[in-house]
Amino acid sequence: MVEFKDVSVTYSSGVDALNKVNLKINDGDFAFVVGSSGAGKSTLIKLILKEIDATSGTVMVNGFNLSKLRRRKIPALRRTIGVVFQDFRLIPTMTVYENVAFVLRVIDAPPKYIRSRVPYVISLVGLQDKAKSYPTELSGGEQQRVALARALVNDPQLIIADEPTGNIDPALSYEIVDLLRSINECGTTVLMVTHEHDLVRYFGGRIININHGNIAFDEVIGGNAK
Amino acid sequence: MRASSARYLVGQGVKSIWRNRMMSFASFCIILVSLLMVGVSVLTTINLNRIIGGIEDQSEAAVTIKDDIGKDKQEALKKQIEALPNVATVTFYSKDEAWKNMKKDMSDEQQDLFRYADENPLPDTFRITVKDISHMSETTMQIGTFENVDSVKSPTQFADVLVSIKNILMIIMTAVIAALIVVCLIIISNTTRASVFARRKEINIMKYVGATNRFIRIPFFIEGMLVGIAAAAAALLLTKFAYEGVYGIFKNDMSLWSILGVDNLYPFSKMMVKVTAAYLVSGAFIGAVGTSISAGKHLKV
Repeated sequence: MVEFKDVSVTYSSGVDALNKVNLKINDGDFAFVVGSSGAGKSTLIKLILKEIDATSGTVMVNGFNLSKLRRRKIPALRRTIGVVFQDFRLIPTMTVYENVAFVLRVIDAPPKYIRSRVPYVISLVGLQDKAKSYPTELSGGEQQRVALARALVNDPQLIIADEPTGNIDPALSYEIVDLLRSINECGTTVLMVTHEHDLVRYFGGRIININHGNIAFDEVIGGNAK
Repeated sequence: MRASSARYLVGQGVKSIWRNRMMSFASFCIILVSLLMVGVSVLTTINLNRIIGGIEDQSEAAVTIKDDIGKDKQEALKKQIEALPNVATVTFYSKDEAWKNMKKDMSDEQQDLFRYADENPLPDTFRITVKDISHMSETTMQIGTFENVDSVKSPTQFADVLVSIKNILMIIMTAVIAALIVVCLIIISNTTRASVFARRKEINIMKYVGATNRFIRIPFFIEGMLVGIAAAAAALLLTKFAYEGVYGIFKNDMSLWSILGVDNLYPFSKMMVKVTAAYLVSGAFIGAVGTSISAGKHLKV
């Protein structure tokens, strides 16, 4: 669960990125976050990951009160969140399998669990035949699916997808969102930041529109799909 | 932490050395040179101290006692001298003994000269050693004021020279070590920066998935430590050869050097364990601490 209460962020440059934002995303929700660049979408994500702190107000994420969370406890918070980036951020010197297994290794998971969990997650995103390939041998859509598998592998409560379709073919974008929807159906909260209105209109659901640091619109709309 | 994780971290550290081999080599060289310089200065100082110590042990002050003062007064004087805080030992050296020793050292012709001297011309003396040679002149001055003391002879000037040599050496060594540590840390910091840069993508992802800072830092720590240990091993070999070479030169030419107390030099085998331990520990320490400090700085974890 993500809850913002009167959250404001003012950067040291004097820019007001968010202005008394109130927002609540319940467990199991699927929400699109839209808005033009510079509207405050990235600030929102950085707050949830505690890369930055709110200037005022409180941010609650998965039971952590981020304004009171000590630096030492940040890893514990981040283990409950999976992140997918626009530029995939896969490690080019590792295979698909290693890219996914890497996440479990760095959180000190048992090797037995790694050996069973990683192939399962890779098959969830439909890449079981590419486990031994390197990222450069894959298409953009496939790379993003690897990134998705990596975000999923430690079974997070919340997945944040930051423009996950920004670098891939429009046709493949629908695949990625479909995957995110099916992950959401299994109970994981998904927050997807995008500026592709076609995609949002197609799928529908909860739309949060941020404009100049304020929430301009937060409603559920029907999609064209189905 | 699990054994598998430990293996993984060590593996990452080793890989990182190879990935940044040029910078690792630079670190290796600078740690090697630093250890060598510090090691050589320490070994030299230890041996100089041994030599100086040897000379100190031999450097006695001779207190000449006034003639025919009698046993009681002699005893009283001895007690008086022994009561001085800086006096280590007081040995009575009788005129007869002194005469006998002197004659022993003489050639036959020289002995002939003294054959008809019916009276022993030498005085009774006390041989005094001091605890701290740098205060020898004060001590001898005090003894000189005592009753029944004729004169005090001591190698005070020589002692002063030895002490000042020792002090200058200490200052130079401290400065050299301090400078080397700074240089070491700067170079290692650069190596680490290169290493962090090469792994920045991984580190970034590690942070997002909730790796602890410790987990991110450990490979760098291991990288630094391994380079440090390798440098220490190389430094140890070089030191061993150099030391044994120099030691051999001094030992084979004993007659010339023994006056300086060079026979007090330590053979390398006697110090092998200590030197090895010191090198390995300080090599690993410089490497590991150097990388850890700068890893923290560059990672901003």
